[in-house]
Amino acid sequence: MTDAPPIIQLDHVSKIYGGVRAVDDVSLSVAHGTFLAIIGPSGCGKSTTIRLINRLIEHDEGSIRISGEEIRSFREETLRRRMGYVIQSGGLFPHWTVERNIATVPVLLGWKPERIRDRVTELLALLQLDANRFRKAYPHRLSGGQQQRVGIARALAADPDVLLMDEPFSALDPITRNALQASLARIHKETGKTIVFVTHDMDEALRLATQVAVMDRGHIVQLGTPRELLHAPANDFVRGFLGAEDRGLRLLAIETAASRMRPVNGLAAETPAIAAGSDLRQALSEMLATGQHALRVEEAGRVVGELYLDDLVRL
Amino acid sequence: MRILRGPLPWLLLLLVVATVGMPATKPLFHAMFPALDRPMYEQDSFTALMLAHLWLAGVASLVATIVGVALGIFVTRPAGAEFRGMVETVAAMGQTFPPVAVLAIAVPVMGFGESPALIALALYGLLPIVRNTITGIETVPADTREAALGIGMSRFQMLARIELPLAAPIIVAGIRTSVIVNVGTAAIASTVGAKTLGSPIILGLSGSNTAYVLQGAILLALLAILLDVAFERLAMWLGGWRRPA
Repeated sequence: MTDAPPIIQLDHVSKIYGGVRAVDDVSLSVAHGTFLAIIGPSGCGKSTTIRLINRLIEHDEGSIRISGEEIRSFREETLRRRMGYVIQSGGLFPHWTVERNIATVPVLLGWKPERIRDRVTELLALLQLDANRFRKAYPHRLSGGQQQRVGIARALAADPDVLLMDEPFSALDPITRNALQASLARIHKETGKTIVFVTHDMDEALRLATQVAVMDRGHIVQLGTPRELLHAPANDFVRGFLGAEDRGLRLLAIETAASRMRPVNGLAAETPAIAAGSDLRQALSEMLATGQHALRVEEAGRVVGELYLDDLVRL
Repeated sequence: MRILRGPLPWLLLLLVVATVGMPATKPLFHAMFPALDRPMYEQDSFTALMLAHLWLAGVASLVATIVGVALGIFVTRPAGAEFRGMVETVAAMGQTFPPVAVLAIAVPVMGFGESPALIALALYGLLPIVRNTITGIETVPADTREAALGIGMSRFQMLARIELPLAAPIIVAGIRTSVIVNVGTAAIASTVGAKTLGSPIILGLSGSNTAYVLQGAILLALLAILLDVAFERLAMWLGGWRRPA
């Protein structure tokens, strides 16, 4: 890493509502390209924290800096146009087409029409939305998942440094949520954007994030990688939030079959196979469902390795 | 020509023909009211009355719209929120007074003529516009507002690009109510000396000349229907994005 300042830096930040410290002495440093999930129960201050960063709420104590610059040195609008913002309901503008919605910030920034058009085309492709079908559609014609895809495209439109997301997938059904999580993981990989993502769903946080901050009553209780959290929860609160009885399964869920497989050693061709990118929890599930101790691991239709039950159990 | 398919251009044509051609129907009114010596109102031309009526109701509605929308916007801003109760009360009072009473009070102060009528009508038309502007802006969902600010619109940009366009159908419904009421009430303004389509009606009523009443009333009714249809059109156009594709 370089010596560049962290893209987002919170130092001893507090927000007080009528004597209650909704966010209490939070310090946080987010390096460029991090996918940070802030997780905690309702009312723990996670949504307040994300709004402090784009100044939808002003903090009372401490300092918040973006790439080393105090956020209050910017005009609010300038600051927010540098950060994409996605909310739970999508918040699309109902009287504007998908194209106009996505173009919101570029239009505010005065981009040329052809540049905006090209950018919208690019983003529709990135979010896997068919341009012919959706470009001129109004939001009420879209499903919840499609609306949220447009919401993410709108947030990314002006290529912001940071993407702030407030429980973006909480209102979606499990299948749609799963598809959007996969899309977001891909977008994070492809664009290298710094993402701050608020959620109350631990599986979602562990699946997507490179860093997880667990909050409780305004404090950050633990900050670490998904692996660090699962191996060494800081206290009972974090352990409880990780789901005491699911912790082992969640550990399996953050590693891929490819990471634990052995070289090909002649497993019978009728042995069930799974994709190399599947996580170990899916592998275990497949073993349980088929009654096998071993699976073949496939990538692009080729067998690339073998995975045994013993491989899953080892820490 | 899509516009020709609706009733709007035909109504307009009918209104113009009826206004300009009213004197030509004199024989008809002679036949209908044989007892009357003069069954056709001829003190002023109907075209002049129609234009004066439109001017009076139009200016009053324009003033009511500008003031009403501005007040509605003001009291839904954080800075104006504390004036909201007062504005709503005053606007409601404006409508509680019968327009005739407002006219009666205005005349001693301002004299006979158009001015007291304008004041009375503008005041009377204010309430539906203020009320609907407030309601319209308040029906914009909180998350739409949060998204607008959150992605970097200024408060003014949010008002101009999001809140007002989304509130427009409701605001226009308020203006429609106000205009229709004003067009009808403007007729009463001829009691204080303003020339309107009410002039033949008032004169006819006081002189037991049913033909005069009929002539004024026909034109007034046509005008009200035309405006109502025109607003219907405008509302459909404003809410176009709601229609299924």
